[in-house]
Amino acid sequence: MAAVHREAIQKQIQQDWANREYIEVITGSIKKITDFLNSFDMSCRSRIAVLNEKLTILERRIEYLEACVTKGETLT
Amino acid sequence: MPLPKRLVEPVLVARGTIPENFPLPSELEAVTNGTLANTIRQLSSLSRHAEDLFGELAREAHGLSDRANSLQARIDRLAVKVTQLDSNVEEVSLQDIHMRKAFKSSVVFDQQVVSRDTMPTAMLETYHQCDTPPPLDKLNVYREDGKDGLKFYTDPNYFFDLWSQEMLKDTEKKLHDRGKKPHRPRNEGGGGGGGRHKKRIRQPHNTRERQRQLAVGHGEYIMPTQGVQYRAPHNIPDESLLGMVMTEPRPPRPNSIELRRSYPPEEQHLYSPPSSDHYRVANYVAQGYEDNLYGSHYGTGQGQTGSETYQSPGGQSTPSRSGRSRPSQPPPAPPSNTSSNSTPTVASANNTPTRGRSMSTGRDTLPPPPPPPGETMSPPPMNGSIPSHLLNRNGSRSNSPLPSHHSTPTPPNHSTQIGTDETDPAAPQDLPPPPPTPDPTPPRPISPPCNIPPPPPPPPPPPVANGPSPPVPLTNGDIAKMIATNPPKLKPLKPLKNIVDGQLRKPVNPNIPLVDPRNDLLKAIRDGIKLRKVEKIEQKEVERVNALNDVASILARRVAVEFSDSDSASESECDSEGWGEQETNLA
Repeated sequence: MAAVHREAIQKQIQQDWANREYIEVITGSIKKITDFLNSFDMSCRSRIAVLNEKLTILERRIEYLEACVTKGETLT
Repeated sequence: MPLPKRLVEPVLVARGTIPENFPLPSELEAVTNGTLANTIRQLSSLSRHAEDLFGELAREAHGLSDRANSLQARIDRLAVKVTQLDSNVEEVSLQDIHMRKAFKSSVVFDQQVVSRDTMPTAMLETYHQCDTPPPLDKLNVYREDGKDGLKFYTDPNYFFDLWSQEMLKDTEKKLHDRGKKPHRPRNEGGGGGGGRHKKRIRQPHNTRERQRQLAVGHGEYIMPTQGVQYRAPHNIPDESLLGMVMTEPRPPRPNSIELRRSYPPEEQHLYSPPSSDHYRVANYVAQGYEDNLYGSHYGTGQGQTGSETYQSPGGQSTPSRSGRSRPSQPPPAPPSNTSSNSTPTVASANNTPTRGRSMSTGRDTLPPPPPPPGETMSPPPMNGSIPSHLLNRNGSRSNSPLPSHHSTPTPPNHSTQIGTDETDPAAPQDLPPPPPTPDPTPPRPISPPCNIPPPPPPPPPPPVANGPSPPVPLTNGDIAKMIATNPPKLKPLKPLKNIVDGQLRKPVNPNIPLVDPRNDLLKAIRDGIKLRKVEKIEQKEVERVNALNDVASILARRVAVEFSDSDSASESECDSEGWGEQETNLA
């Protein structure tokens, strides 16, 4: 009787451990996803920032060139 | 402490999963189920954040692609334009250059990067969870000092206000100091603008300091009191000092000195002080292009500040502009002109410039009469300004035909001749002729077509110009006679010019170039097309209002101030070179 009861408890605990392991895997993968998202966000932002910088430089250069080339557009 | 932008909730997945006071068959299972449910919640929260994150990235990428596309279009347009460029064709004629609008950058800077509007949505959610500040602003009604009660509790603009105040104060100070600096070159050129007493006063002080240091360097001992003497606060007394002080700066520019002979230097100084315009004009007359640099440079300084901040120095601006615009027309205008011109065209100033010109034509001949004290004082410089440029140019041109006279455009000679003529017979007799003469005086015989268009301007000048005009008729009469023999057509103009230059350089020169611009102006006024575009006053007002609330404008102004400050010295040199080249080209 006692042995049966103990067995049941052991079973429950083992099941629980299995469940906990399962949950652990899930939360671990959630963390991985989060890390990935964070790193993705960071790298994207840095690249966008670099691109943005280059674009700004280009825009200023183009503006300068346009001003140089402008003939009479600003007249009248 | 880092502030997480996005928080995946719930954080503690396994806690609190056992309901209280509720009999459970299996607590372990309940915990497991609860934990699993929480992880699912976490996942959902994570996916929401991921969506938000990708959304932001996509938005930024989209913006970038838009900019890149527009940039590509601009580059294409530019490429087409560049292929059409022809180096042989002058891009903009000298007259058109006045009509050009000042370049204005269209680059938009990101502002208020950290404000409530630009707050990321994830952060905004967190922000909304916060308690709102107590509604202290409801008590504003009962405040007697008119302050916002909420600002005592929280004031998001506090640091910006602090910063902007500091910046504005700083720029003000810079502006103030800068006023001193540009003054130095001007003084070297022959004195400071009459309008700016402060700077002018300090100017000699600087040079004196320099001199004193030099002297001390040579081992001399200088009484300390001298410095105080020189700082005399008024312009006129300064002139003598300036003259003394100026001796030092002058040597570097021998050319200017040569040109200066045209007028007796002392008289110039006398004329110069009364007003900035006159002073500037005097510079033009006396020292020609090089000094123009200084004048123009000075002008540019103002123009810049004015355009940038739209807070032009007020009263001074108008006179200086009008003065500037005139001289600018003949030579390839310095950048300042573009900005400066705007006002005269817009404002009622149209009348005045024409008058001034007409006056000037009459006076051009006048410059010799400097001796006359009060009346002529003011006008001659004005006239001188325009003709001076012309003088230089014409003088250079005339060199080929008549080298002997040309070396120094010597007005004194003319003055002497004219003076003798005037004094003996002219004074009373000449008075009647002047009315016709002032406008067309020399040009009339030379260039009838040119004179015809500008009819309106002449009427006003005659009465004013009478005093000085007498000399003109005499000279004109002579020339006219000579010309009369030849049919006065456009073609004869040039030979006539030369002749005239030989005899009377001043009168002819101003007229030839002057007449044309005037015609254009009238035409422009009639057509209403050619007038230079000017920013609307409303726009300026709006921008001025924004100036104080705008980080970019504050910074822009500050940069502008500092820029002009540091460049003042170097610019002048560069400009001088440019002018020198042009001068040579003209010659």
